[in-house]
Parts: sequence; C-alpha cells; structure tokens
Amino acid sequence: MSESKDPRKTFGEALVEVGEKYGTVIAISADSSGGSGMTPFKEKFPDRHLEFGIMEQGVIGFASGLATTGKIPFVVAIAPFVTARPFEMFRNDLGYMRQNVKVVGRCAGISYSDLGPTHQSLDDVALIRTIPGVTVLNPADPVEIKKVVHAAADITGPCYIKIGKEKMPVLFEENYPFELGKGYLVRDGKDVTLIGTGTVFANAHAAAEALKKEGVDVRLIDIHTLKPFDSGIVLKAAKETGTIVTVEEHYLAGGLGSIVCETLAREGVCTKVKMIGIDDQFASNGPYDDLLGLYGLLPDQIKETVKGFL
Amino acid sequence: MLTPQELKTLQKTALQVRKNVLREIKAGKMGHIGGALSIVDIVTALYFKIMNIDPKKPLMRDRDRFVLSAGHKCLALYAVLAERGFFDHSVLDTYGSLGSKLPGHPDMHKLPGVESNTGALGHGLSIAGGMAMGLKMDGLGSKVYVIMGDGELAEGSNWEAAAASSHHKLDNMLVFVDRNSLQISGRTVEVMSYEPLEERWRSFGWGTRIINGHDIETIVKAAEEFPFEKGKPSVVIADTVKSKGISFAEDRVDFHYWKAKEEEILQAEQEFAAIDRRLEE
Ligand SMILES: Cc1ncc(C[n+]2csc(CCOP(=O)(O)OP(=O)(O)O)c2C)c(N)n1
Ligand SMILES: [Mg+2]
Repeated sequence: MSESKDPRKTFGEALVEVGEKYGTVIAISADSSGGSGMTPFKEKFPDRHLEFGIMEQGVIGFASGLATTGKIPFVVAIAPFVTARPFEMFRNDLGYMRQNVKVVGRCAGISYSDLGPTHQSLDDVALIRTIPGVTVLNPADPVEIKKVVHAAADITGPCYIKIGKEKMPVLFEENYPFELGKGYLVRDGKDVTLIGTGTVFANAHAAAEALKKEGVDVRLIDIHTLKPFDSGIVLKAAKETGTIVTVEEHYLAGGLGSIVCETLAREGVCTKVKMIGIDDQFASNGPYDDLLGLYGLLPDQIKETVKGFL
Repeated sequence: MLTPQELKTLQKTALQVRKNVLREIKAGKMGHIGGALSIVDIVTALYFKIMNIDPKKPLMRDRDRFVLSAGHKCLALYAVLAERGFFDHSVLDTYGSLGSKLPGHPDMHKLPGVESNTGALGHGLSIAGGMAMGLKMDGLGSKVYVIMGDGELAEGSNWEAAAASSHHKLDNMLVFVDRNSLQISGRTVEVMSYEPLEERWRSFGWGTRIINGHDIETIVKAAEEFPFEKGKPSVVIADTVKSKGISFAEDRVDFHYWKAKEEEILQAEQEFAAIDRRLEE
C-alpha cells in the first residue's frame, strides 16, 4: 500500500504555496479554518486570514466584494455549507458577477459518514456545475489536490474545489501530466473504461488493478475537472472500449455519471454506461467504509459491478 | 456644506435624473418606478457631490464604490450614471429591449459604472462589506456606499453582513436604508416589521442617523460627516416617499412596478416640467 495523506492537511499546504506565490490570496473562514487545514496559512499570513464566524451566505458575498478589489479569496468550509446553503450567493455573487473566488468544500461526499445527511454533500457537483463559468474540480489523490489548488489560483474566475476527509493514498507521481479541463488517462485498455473522480477514484484504481489480474483489460480515466468537461476523452473511450462504468461519491443525478451520459447523448453515441454512486436517497450514517460498501463503492464491489456489466 | 447655488444645481440635477427615469419607463413601457424615485435625491447627492469617481475611468483603482443592494431600483442608477456621463443618454431609450445594457436589475458587465449584480435582495451588503474590506487592506481611502430597501431588511443575510461589517470595523462604509415604508404587499411594518429599526442597527454595532431622504442638503451633510462613530460602519435611515415627484403615484403600493399608460406618462412629464419652472424661479 502506498503512502496516505490527510486531504485537508495537503490542501492547507497547497494554500500556503499559492499564498506565497500570490500576495493577493486571502483565506476566509466561517468558523471553519482549523478544520479546513488553514492554520498554517493563518500563522504565516495572519493579515490575510479573515474570520467571519458561522455565516456561510455572508462570506460568499464578502469574498465577491474582496475579489472586486483584486484579492483571490479562498472560502473553505464543510461542503454543503458552501454549496447548498449559499447557492444563490454562489450563483449571483460569484458566477454572474464572474468574481475570482475559490470555494473549497471539504469533508465532501459522505466522508462525514457518522454525522449524517446534514453534513454530507452528495449534490454539490450537480448544483455548482449549473452555474455558467464556474470551474468544478474534484482531485483524486494528494498530489492532485495540490495541482488543482495551484491551477485554481492561476486562472481568473470562480472555482469550486471538492475535497474529502479520509486519508487518500498517493497514486500519482509529482510530475504526472495534469492539465486543467482534461481527463487523465491513467492506464489504457480496450475491454471497458472505468472513469472515476475525487475521493473514490482510488477505489476505482484498485478495482482496475484487480481486474487486470483477472484478465480484463480496463481503461482507467481520472476526471479531476468536472467542468469544463473533457468530452473528447469520453467519446474516444466509448468508441474504443464500448462500455463505460463511472465511479463517484455523489448522487447519480447530476454528477460524473450524468455528465458522461449527457456527453454521449449530445453526440448521439450509443454506449452502455453503468453509474456507481448514491441513488435518489439521503445517505445512511456509520463508519465511512461501511457506508461506501452500502453504495457499492468499495474496490471489490466496483470490480464485481464491472465484471457483471461486461 | 453646500452653497445655495450648489444646492439649487443639485436639485435641478435630481429633477433631471427623475426625467431620465421617466424616459426609461417610456422606452420600456413599464418598470420599478416607486423605489427608483424614492432614492433619486440620495444617488444624485452621492454621484454629483460626494463620490470620488471618474466617468472616463470607471474602474479607477481608488474610486469610491456604490452598491445598489435593492437592485430593482436600478432605473435610478442608470439615470444618474447617464447624467454623470458614464454613457450616452440615448442608452436610456433601450430600456426593455432585447439584450439592452439596462436589464431590469443591473449587470456590471454590461454597463460602465455598475459595481455589482444585484436584484436578489439581501446580497448587496455582504458584497459591499467585502469591497470595504479589500479597499482598507490596500490602504486606500476609498468609501463604499450602499442603498438598501426597507422591505429588503427582512432578509436574514443582511444581518450576517451587518454583524461582520461592525466586527471588522468597516468605517469606510455608509449604508442608506430607503425607508419609503412600502414594499410589494403593503406597509413594510405591517408586512414584516423591522422596528425598532435604529436600535437594531445600533445593537449590531453601527453608527446611525435618521434623515429626510429628499433633503439634499441633509443627505450631503450625513455623507460628509460619516463615519458617525469612530471605527464603526454607518447607516442613514432615510425617510422617503415612494414614487417621489409623481403626485398620483406617490406613497402608493400599486406603483411598485408601473405598467405605464401613455396619459400617465404625459401627466408625469407635465409635473416634472412644473417642478422645473419652480426651480428656475
Ligand atoms: C430575494 C428576493 N425576494 C423577492 C424579490 C422580489 N422583490 C422585488 S422588490 C421587492 C420589495 C422590496 O421592498 P423594499 O426593499 O422596501 O424596496 P422598495 O419596493 O420600497 O423599493 C420584492 C419582494 C427579490 N427581488 N429578491
Ligand atoms: Mg420600501
């Protein structure tokens, strides 16, 4: 097993790096700084760390106003509280106003497994990707967390970055080919394509390894940028492998699986697609791995689903 | 302080802004007239006496900012921006047409001088707070001016922003509450009471003042004297009359949004002409 890292700690390191790179980067906390890995940033740049208390609607507006003066605010808190809660502020103050604000939803998906649906975020991608001009990022490992934080800081415009809570295994090399807006072909294959995103990409990765041992030639794609979406890599996979399985810690409605199906339908491509994720229900509560198991998101389950689908 | 001549000039400008509002209504045949006319004297004072702005350089870094939190009052904003020279008056005639630079709620990417995209009530104060904060961080002396509706104050998000603005000591921010005492469904205190209004703001850590929102001299004085208390954001509760200047529409709830008949527009034009004559005397 490779080394694993705490995504929030990794995010916090990345924030310090972009803070060093750009003197205009501001960290915004809604009583959420420590839990978001922002303590090192706060210690290093105390004047650029702004505390607002528990006002997730307010902070989005303040971030928008700060951005109009040339700042690059990073607003970081528990995922549902910076997406579903202030959705209209996100849409109008950041999207419609086209402000250079980076919203980071942490402990996303069902990673607050024990805390239940109020704290889980299975709709954030579905919601935020409807907002024109917002870049939606969902990194798959600690190396990629750093890549997306840097990429978000480098571009001008609103971004949503989704990160989990559980430690993530390091899957990628420091210098792997990361390109914003492009899917990453992790391994080629011709029997079936497995497309994963974010926290559970590692499980798709493990499933792909196991399938390969069993003689199934799996193509594996990591989608770190859900919007703008790399339709080319999906259309190519549909053409070359025929069958697609998507894996995400999100509702089936509106997430990666939906995006893949929309892409195929728009292009008139008829391909078998299986979507693995959480269907139309509020998720349960309990240990994280047990919950993932409930929704078929563990490596063995993904492997079996793929085999059963071939 | 204003000289009598300056006051007269500002009053004439305010009338011209009212005429511009009517011109927009004439073009679009309808619009949010009531809340626009209640803020005309305030925006005129701000744009013609108070704010550090340059219509030739609408994005000048150290400019003062104006956020119209109650975005539906935008006919007044467009009217004053045109009068101040941000764009040609002829643009006012496009109100209501497809793709006009003057949407029913303002869009900063369409029109120079517009600083934020408001319209959904309860957003502007946070955005303005962020601007005030950013300007302070940059060591600029710029000020941020905001206009809110009195009905708008029912939105909880405003009170998040009110708390944060005092917590962060944003004494470079001046808010006008346009207390025209009406909103869509009736008298504001009956729909959802904001009383005790001044105490609410005070208890949130703001310096307060109550004025007549049509008395340009008093508006200018308040804007020149803020912050009312050191280290605190300031709020002016401006008592106004909805649809101010058009007698048959004044203080009437059904003129929140006006589907204007031709004869009504004609009468309004005549009333403005009469005010014009009075000011010339
Ligand atoms: C969030 C939101 N809810 C509802 C509306 C619809 N709306 C437009 S104006 C208005 C009344 C506003 O009253 P007030 O703030 O007193 O402004 P005035 O009408 O006096 O100009 C309402 C409810 C809106 N624009 N935004
Ligand atoms: Mg009102």
